[in-house]
Formats: sequence, structure tokens, C-alpha cells
Amino acid sequence: MSKKRTAVFVIVTAVVIAALATGIILTDGLYEKAGSVNETMQDAVLHEGDKISLFGMQVNPALISGFVVTGILLLFAAIVRIFVIPKFSYIPNKFQLLLEQAVGMFEGLARNNSPHRNNFLGAYLFAAGAYICIGTLFELLGIPWVTAAGASLSLPAPLADINGAIMMGCLSYLVILSGGILSNGFRGVGRTLKEFSLPISMSFRLFGALLSGLLVTELVYSYLALSFVLPVIVGVLFTILHALIQTYVLTMLTALFYGEVSEPPVLKPKKQKKIKVPSEVTSK
Amino acid sequence: MLYSIAAVPLNIDWQQILLHLLNFVILFAGLYLLLYKPVKAFMKKRQDHYAEMQKNAEEQNAAADRARSEYEGKLAAVDREIEEKRAAAKKELDGYEQMRKNAAEEEAEAILNEAKKKAAEEKRHALRSARREISALVSNATEKLVLKETAQEAYDQFLAAADKAKRSEEPRQ
Repeated sequence: MSKKRTAVFVIVTAVVIAALATGIILTDGLYEKAGSVNETMQDAVLHEGDKISLFGMQVNPALISGFVVTGILLLFAAIVRIFVIPKFSYIPNKFQLLLEQAVGMFEGLARNNSPHRNNFLGAYLFAAGAYICIGTLFELLGIPWVTAAGASLSLPAPLADINGAIMMGCLSYLVILSGGILSNGFRGVGRTLKEFSLPISMSFRLFGALLSGLLVTELVYSYLALSFVLPVIVGVLFTILHALIQTYVLTMLTALFYGEVSEPPVLKPKKQKKIKVPSEVTSK
Repeated sequence: MLYSIAAVPLNIDWQQILLHLLNFVILFAGLYLLLYKPVKAFMKKRQDHYAEMQKNAEEQNAAADRARSEYEGKLAAVDREIEEKRAAAKKELDGYEQMRKNAAEEEAEAILNEAKKKAAEEKRHALRSARREISALVSNATEKLVLKETAQEAYDQFLAAADKAKRSEEPRQ
């Protein structure tokens, strides 16, 4: 065997041994994350161990997230209102274009789905869309907070809490109901109540989507072997996708149902009563 | 306590739902007043501005179309007038040319007649002078013939005198 072939053989053998050793180490139970996925999911839903004290009330961390997100959005809006909007020009720059696109998108969504009544709907969709999208992306920041028990945690998305999701679903349903009442009175109430499952489905759709994202992330993070490149994709990409998809789904559903219940009724033309002609006349 | 009574399974907490709702209502009001309404108002203002611009442009276009059609009508009238004047001028020019042509022809005819008359006069004059010379020659010849002794000599002298007279006459013609 020549020297060259000997060297190749040694290198290949070393690489195989190193790969096998890495595999053995990574698959060792010692490197698994402490605690089961069950507990993590239970914590994510019930928040039994990570309550935060707010003016003496024990609240879920997502509520704090909600306040922080609201604060961030209002601060941003105030800065834009004071420094940017007065400088708006008819030929927009990139940032102005972005703002106009955001407002125009939700306003267009409201106008297209509910052509008869859409002023309030557009504003509501804009606020809800901003809250869901920015709130979901907010969890990427991982802002640390101290629980009532003194432990540390990173703030989750506001809608990862079932209470936040129920609020958003039920409020959307109330907005739809108000549109129905304002446009069609009792007929609108009837139309809205026909979709009685809507608040539940909207609430749990939001909550379920975020919870499922959390579940997938937790499953991935449970194993050390999967925690090298994958969390970047799972953590960031899934969160961005969630933010966009959930924003689109809730605003689109709200606009659709709002448009449906606020549509003015189409009056059918009254049928003219046929005048009975005596058989004697027809026979003649 | 209301908090514990209101608590239901799945950690659904009415108080926290209301807190979330309060939070969202504040957010909605703030975003509406600070961002949505001003941006929408600006977009509406710009839309109105461009609509106004378009309306003005359409009005100006219509006015320009009207002015163009008016000018085209005027141009057509001017063209007609120019054509009429051109035709009249051409007619006048033709008449003038004809007049000049007639005058030239008359003048040429007069010149020709004058030339013919002059030529005839010169011819008559030449013939008269030739006759006068011939008659002089004849009288000379006759005189010499009479004076000469021989007829032959006289005859030769006569021929020579006639020949000379003829040569002197030729260049005049």
C-alpha cells in the first residue's frame, strides 16, 4: 500500500469514528432538556407558576406583553404623528409609502368586503392587525420579566394567552354585531347571531395557532441534537409566518362577516296577484 | 372574591380578559387618532388634489380642443380667401401677358413692315442707280464705238464696260 493510500485510509477512518462519537454523545439522555414537554405546555396554557404581580393582581405574563406592545405601538404612532406625518409629501418616500401601504391595505380590505359601511371597520382592522402582527413578533425580542415568585421569564406574545385570544375573538364578534345592528337593525342581529360559533372559533384559532407554534418550538428545543441550526428557522421563521398569517386570517374573517351582516337586504319585488278569470269568459 | 369566583378552567380569567380589552381599546383609540386618521386624511387630500388636477387638465384640454377647432375654421377661411385672390391675380397676370404679347406682335409686325418697306426702297434705289450707270456706260460705249474705227474693238470695249458695270453692281445686292 502506497503512502498516499495509507493516508486516505487513516483520514476516512478518523472521520467515521468522530461522526459516530458525536452521534453517540448527542443521543445520550443526559443531553436532553430537563422537564417534559407536558409541563411546558401546561405552563403555556395555565401559567400556574409564572404569574406576574400587577398593582396587586396576579396576571399572566401575556397581559404584561400586551401592555408593552401597546406602549411600543403608541409611542411609535406618537413619534410618527409628530415628526413624520407633518412632512408627508405628494410624492412619498419609502417610510411614508410603508405607512400608506399599511393604512391603505386595511382600509381597502374593509372597503372591498363591506362596501356599504366601512369607516369604523377599517380603523378596527388596522388596530387589530397591528396588535396581532407586532404582538406576535414581540416574542422574538425575549424581553425578560420577573414573576411574582421571583423567577425570571421572557415575555411571550400577548395572544399566546387564552384570555388575550378570547378578548380579540369576542371583540371582533362584537364589532361584527355592531355593524349588523347599525346597518340592518334586528335583521343584522339575526344575521350575526346565526354565526354564534364565530367568537369561539376566532378566539381559539388565534390561541391554537400560537400554542401550536409554541409546541413545535418546545419539541425542537427538547433535543440538543436539533438545537444547532433548526431553532433559527423554527423560532424566527415560524414566528414571522404566524404573525403574518394570523393577522391576515383574523382581519379577513372580521371584514368578511362584517360585510355580510351589514349588507342592506335585497327586497324582492312583490308578486302581482293573478286575477281569476271566470271559465265562462275563457271558453268564449 | 370576584377574582376566584370568576376563574374558570383553562385559566380563562374574566378580569384579565377585561384588562386585555382595556389595553386594546386604548391601543385602538391611540392608533386611530395618531396614525390611521391622519394618514388616511392625507391620502384623501392627495387623491382630491390629483382628481382636481385631472379635472383641470380635462377642462384645459376641452378648451384647447375648442380653440383648435376655431383656429382650424379660421385657417380654412383664410386659405379659401388666399386661393380666391391667387386666382384673381393669375387671371389679371394672364390678361396683362396677353396684352403685352399683342403689343409685341404689333410692334414686330410694324418693324417687319418698316424693314420690308425700307428694303424695297433700297432695291428701287439700287436698280435706279444701276440703270443710271448702265445707261451711262451704254452712252459711253456708244460714244467710244462711234469714235473707234473698228467694230470689233468697239464691241470688246462694250463688253468690258458691261462686265465692269456688272461687277460693280453685285456687292450692292
